Amino acid sequence: MQGVPRQISRGRKTLSAEPRGQLVWDLPVRLVHWLLAALILFSWWSVKNHHTDWHIWSGIAILTLLLFRLLWGLGGSSTARFANFVKGPRAVGAFLRGQWTGTGHNPLGALSVLALFGAVAIQVGLGLISQDEDGLYMGPLARLVSSDTSDSARDMHELWFKVILGLIVLHVAAILYYRLFRGQKLTKPMITGRALVDPDAEPMRPGKWWVAVVCLGMALAIARWVVAGAPPFGS
Amino acid sequence: MRNVLIAAVVTLAAAAVVAAPLDTGRALAVMHERHEGMETIGKANKAANRELGGAPNLAVVRTSAAQIADLSRKASGWFPAGTGPDVGKTRAKPEIWQNPQDFAAKAHNFQVAAQAFNAVAATGDINAMKARFADLGGTCKACHDKYRAEEKH
Repeated sequence: MQGVPRQISRGRKTLSAEPRGQLVWDLPVRLVHWLLAALILFSWWSVKNHHTDWHIWSGIAILTLLLFRLLWGLGGSSTARFANFVKGPRAVGAFLRGQWTGTGHNPLGALSVLALFGAVAIQVGLGLISQDEDGLYMGPLARLVSSDTSDSARDMHELWFKVILGLIVLHVAAILYYRLFRGQKLTKPMITGRALVDPDAEPMRPGKWWVAVVCLGMALAIARWVVAGAPPFGS
Repeated sequence: MRNVLIAAVVTLAAAAVVAAPLDTGRALAVMHERHEGMETIGKANKAANRELGGAPNLAVVRTSAAQIADLSRKASGWFPAGTGPDVGKTRAKPEIWQNPQDFAAKAHNFQVAAQAFNAVAATGDINAMKARFADLGGTCKACHDKYRAEEKH
């Protein structure tokens, strides 16, 4: 730490003056983002390499992440809350005309967030009721539906992955577009949490750590219930 | 003695796998029978798996176990030389006919496990059924992971 000027004041007023920019993504948002990316990669790899049991557990971990993010989107930091960043078509139009200032997701990016989370949620739902083609593995909720439905769900689960891949390609392409044509680096803020933002924009109001703990506890409890086979624990 | 017998059975089965190729008509007939047989085994396996998760309907488990045991005896005859992907639509990999000894040993393991599951299904011991069912699944997986190609959509 010697020679490096330490930032002593981290008060809200002085944040924008920090050379590293100000906090726009809290730790839970960043962790969910990178864990989700890693788990999607792992899910794909594990099923391609016949580790169906790992694939199922990876899906349950993704379910837990989605549940946590949903809850954190209700009670977390200001940039994590859906109510703050999900906007209607008029806001999207205004953003496209360059009339948007703010911290966090822009109105168009918000649609991308919803599409990705929705697509992954559908994928998890299909996986939960699937069974493998040999009858060796079943998703934790597969017994709630018929064997034929589980087989159809597996087929759709496989096809739906193409939709997810498409959205991932779009996501990465958008990041490259901002990097190359707008001179905006989006990846680094998702790692460090910090970015230079418009001085007029309202800064992020951080969530409370204990709310994150409560959200995580609830997400784990719901995931545990699903693993048990849901309703009164199976059919 | 038992090991010698197993070795003899496996060698005979392996010989069948490497024997002279069939003509196309017969090959396609075998491939069709193989496909239908595998589908039936899969369906029976799924039915048993569903039951063994909760409070099982033993009639379903027994029917499935008997069906799988019966078909497992035929399975070693489903892979004569000349029934690979070069002949018709199949997910059977060419490696089957490149490793006849290993393939025959795996087919034999499947048959043994299917019979063990069928035997225990006749009893009322559900934990034993689950254990033998897991063993059986392991023999399916051992062969499929190595010798079955991915499904094409």
